[in-house]
Amino acid sequence: MTAPALKSADELETRLADWLARCALGDRQAFRQLYEATSARLLGVIAQLVGRGALAEDLLQDVYVRIWKAAGQYRAGAGSPMAWMAATARYRAIDHLRSRGARPEVAIADLPAHAGSEDGDDDPTHRMPDPGPGPARRFEARSEAEAVQGCLGTLQGSQQQSLSLAYYQGLSHGEIAAHLGAPLGSVKTWVRRGLIALKACLESCGWSGAAS
Amino acid sequence: MNVFLGELPDRLAAEYVLGTLSGGARRRFDALLPAHPALREAVAGWEKRLLPMALKAEPVQPPAHVWSAIEGKLGWTPPAKASSLRLRFWQAFATLATVAAVVLGTSLRPGPTGAPMIVVLHATQGSETLVAGLSPDRRQLSIQPLQKVALTPDRSLELWALKKDGPPASLGLIAADKLTAVNQRALPKDTKGLAVSLEPLGGSPTGAPTGPVLFVGELTL
Repeated sequence: MTAPALKSADELETRLADWLARCALGDRQAFRQLYEATSARLLGVIAQLVGRGALAEDLLQDVYVRIWKAAGQYRAGAGSPMAWMAATARYRAIDHLRSRGARPEVAIADLPAHAGSEDGDDDPTHRMPDPGPGPARRFEARSEAEAVQGCLGTLQGSQQQSLSLAYYQGLSHGEIAAHLGAPLGSVKTWVRRGLIALKACLESCGWSGAAS
Repeated sequence: MNVFLGELPDRLAAEYVLGTLSGGARRRFDALLPAHPALREAVAGWEKRLLPMALKAEPVQPPAHVWSAIEGKLGWTPPAKASSLRLRFWQAFATLATVAAVVLGTSLRPGPTGAPMIVVLHATQGSETLVAGLSPDRRQLSIQPLQKVALTPDRSLELWALKKDGPPASLGLIAADKLTAVNQRALPKDTKGLAVSLEPLGGSPTGAPTGPVLFVGELTL
């Protein structure tokens, strides 16, 4: 089916895309195979955000119900099937974290008065020069994972911290602000500029991340 | 908010994938996605960019009951295999009874007599089944899937009368998950079977089946 020369990750992606296409047509056997091939990784993604145990497993069930129902949409959206499924798992976990009572949101009143700006445009850090990934910070990445890791390392400390808290802990802007003891506006700016710098860095080392 | 200007779509997509787009903004963005390919592309790009971070998480093998629970949530066969056949029988029986009741109920007017005809439509691939009931005067037709038919939002199921001669005649669209009372004057006289095809949302644009035929059943007299 696939050339043996293919990297195993590519081979898996090809299989996943095939199974998803069959799921869209109602093929339950394909769904089972998809589950067997991906459930441990998706549960890992969820457990990273909400911890291991019954809650993570409940969320995993929701994720696969969603994947089954939205399998047809995946075909329309293109991109990597594994990325799409991992994102579906992430979104479910984040929805749970944001749902009322799951984790107390930071009260806006507790934050410094100047932190209320919608997108942080009045924050002084917004006008600071962004160092970005300079030539001295270039590095060789053998895989996409290494590239992301390397690029994260080139970000300013506060940007890197904010992105990591948002990504690995699923924290909201407000929660990051509370965690870092920083104004909300600054956090929004760090996140935004961190993402822009991350994208630029990935593009500069050949991992654009564009949907193929 | 115009999401189509400049870099805003990419920025929103990035924060959507990261998770920091939240509350009302996240819901609005979710609602915009289906209709805006450019946004979906931006989201897919960020999902691919940030995937390596997500998949660095250590895999956790889910216990076996998770799969059973998923099957349950999808309304599929129950975990115990021995009871599945019996359950299917009762599901089928209940559906037949419902279909017959609807057909009989709508035909309890003076005129038509006799029992409704039941037509079972089998999947051309797979094991799903649709059941249709036809009143004796052939004017009342109801159809119901025994299991929900998996359907993407951009597709519709269209019911066709297969005639002895000539092309299939459309009987309209049917629901993928519940009983549809087909609204029609009368089934064409020489109808020998029913078929359901997969069509673009809203039904076949040509008046003839354009998609694959998913279910077929014969009228036996």
